[in-house]
Amino acid sequence: MENQLIISVGREFGSGGHLIAEKLSQRFGIKLYDHNFLDEIAAKHNGDIESIRKFDEAPKLRILSRTVRGYNNSPEDVVTQLQFEYMKERADAGESFVIVGRCSETVLKYHPAMISIFVLGDYDKKLERVKEKYNLSEKEAKSLMKLKDKKRKSYHNYNCDLHWGDSRLYEISINSSRLGIDETVDVLEEYINRRIGK
Amino acid sequence: MLAQTVAVVIFIAMFILIVMDKIERHHITIGCGVLTLVVVFGMIMKDGDAIIRTLNLDPIFTTHFWYSAGSSETASNGINWETIIFIAGMMIMVEGMARVGFFRWLCLKIASLVKYKTIPVFITFMIMSAVLAMFIDSITVILFLAAVTVELAKLLKFNPVPVILSEIFCANLGGSATMCGDPPNIIIGTSLGYSFFDFINNTGVIAGIGLVFTVIYFYFAFRKELREGSVVPEKKPVPRDAIKDMPGFIMSTVIFLIAVVLLVTHAETHLTVAFIGVLVSVLTLITAPKHMVYILKKVDYKTLLFFIGLFMVVGGLEETGVLVVIAEFIGKISGGNLFAICAIILWGSAVASAFVDNIPFAATMIPVIKSMSATMGIDLDMLAWTLSMGTDIGGSATPIGASANVVGTAVCAKSGHPVGWKRYCTTAVPATVIVITISMVCIFVRYI
Repeated sequence: MENQLIISVGREFGSGGHLIAEKLSQRFGIKLYDHNFLDEIAAKHNGDIESIRKFDEAPKLRILSRTVRGYNNSPEDVVTQLQFEYMKERADAGESFVIVGRCSETVLKYHPAMISIFVLGDYDKKLERVKEKYNLSEKEAKSLMKLKDKKRKSYHNYNCDLHWGDSRLYEISINSSRLGIDETVDVLEEYINRRIGK
Repeated sequence: MLAQTVAVVIFIAMFILIVMDKIERHHITIGCGVLTLVVVFGMIMKDGDAIIRTLNLDPIFTTHFWYSAGSSETASNGINWETIIFIAGMMIMVEGMARVGFFRWLCLKIASLVKYKTIPVFITFMIMSAVLAMFIDSITVILFLAAVTVELAKLLKFNPVPVILSEIFCANLGGSATMCGDPPNIIIGTSLGYSFFDFINNTGVIAGIGLVFTVIYFYFAFRKELREGSVVPEKKPVPRDAIKDMPGFIMSTVIFLIAVVLLVTHAETHLTVAFIGVLVSVLTLITAPKHMVYILKKVDYKTLLFFIGLFMVVGGLEETGVLVVIAEFIGKISGGNLFAICAIILWGSAVASAFVDNIPFAATMIPVIKSMSATMGIDLDMLAWTLSMGTDIGGSATPIGASANVVGTAVCAKSGHPVGWKRYCTTAVPATVIVITISMVCIFVRYI
């Protein structure tokens, strides 16, 4: 528990936040939780992974769900709650990990081992990255970026008090376009080492 | 005219707020109810009597409210206290049964009788859901049945979603068979003075036919999915272990049987459902004195307050004559044709109940059908059974149509099997259409 390390990485779509999280997990030798988080939840509950994935990081539509006697039937809400509970369970069990998104900076804010990071990027750099990574035209890439960020933002803002990307939520917000992915990881690694050394 | 407009605005605002699900439902209806009393009756109509009629407290202090020889029809205006008291009484009885492990025991007993085989469990649980929901509120039925289904699904390695979806549908169908099964029926029964047997002989027959088709439909819809990977476990749960307090279990079972007998015979004994509700709740509490506080704390007061507020808002529409206008409108568009009137009420109620809570819808429609019967000379019984089937079954079509659907799909999701609208409606909508069509044919053949 003493050497426990939890790194939460929030990110703009196309900023390379996921890759940075992956590299941080390798450098610190700790587990990375992203989509695989859902596999573990599904395995724990003997649940249906495909259905769970469908409602991952999705905001609920109020008019399509109802609450009766404290039971809410929004699948988005329930999948979110399952993730929050599992996140806390892993953190409280003393596990070290890097977790991507999922409001983890807010859900695990209470935890002493927690370091929260937000990765952003310049629009044109993000656009280039998305075009290349997903093999899309400029128009398609722009629309995908808009859609993904809108979805993440509304999911975050529905579940947390502070807004997505608000600097008060994170210890460090970094623009990955300035130094590139690897040097951004170097800077973050150094910061984390200093933080855990204290 | 101003009073009518304001009453309608309050009513629509209440519906929108309920659908938005941002504020708790009972706060919305009580708030809107108080607004109706103060603004519509007090400030605009300046009619103190309308407030008294809507609060409707006087009848509670008459013998007729508890023991009614002859017609047991309650005053149609305002808060239907008979419904509130009956539901409260049944809630206390059901909480007493849940405390001792009755429902879990029953589910496991049925599963053990069919030797924990997936398909027989699936079929018997559908039937059990319908039968239990005839006497107990469908939320409680689904809450326990779904929990045991999830437990058995882990053990027998089947997907619990098809089973829970079928149980939800059957609970709503079973609830339509009797006066005490579904909240819309309790409101229809107490408002229009019907007995348990009136429902059994009318909606019960339709629900029975519907259940046969429903079981066959869900069997063919889900049999392949359920057969995949299901196993017979080595270690099976023992039903007896579900019982937490044997003397309490025996007492609860006896009280439940008393409730069933009294409900079935209430037309003969002339005991009203309010009396039966109070009796079974008192019996539950005095036979478990140590657990009295626990049981009372578990009662869902929010639902009772939701009903009280709802009746006040509907009372506003009734007192201002809005519902008569709606009744006349239905009469007009149907051209007085009985087939058209029944079809409009049945399919209209079904579609409306699929998207908005079926309880406020039923409460609103009762004065409408009463008015239609009075002004157009149409048989009120036929309209009542049509409304009952439309609201009860229509509520099954979507995940938000009835309370049992919400609770059932929530239990499913919490167990790692989230159910979206597409998954739910793919099987529920055809099942609803089948049963509503059966209901329409039965109503046309039998009553027109």
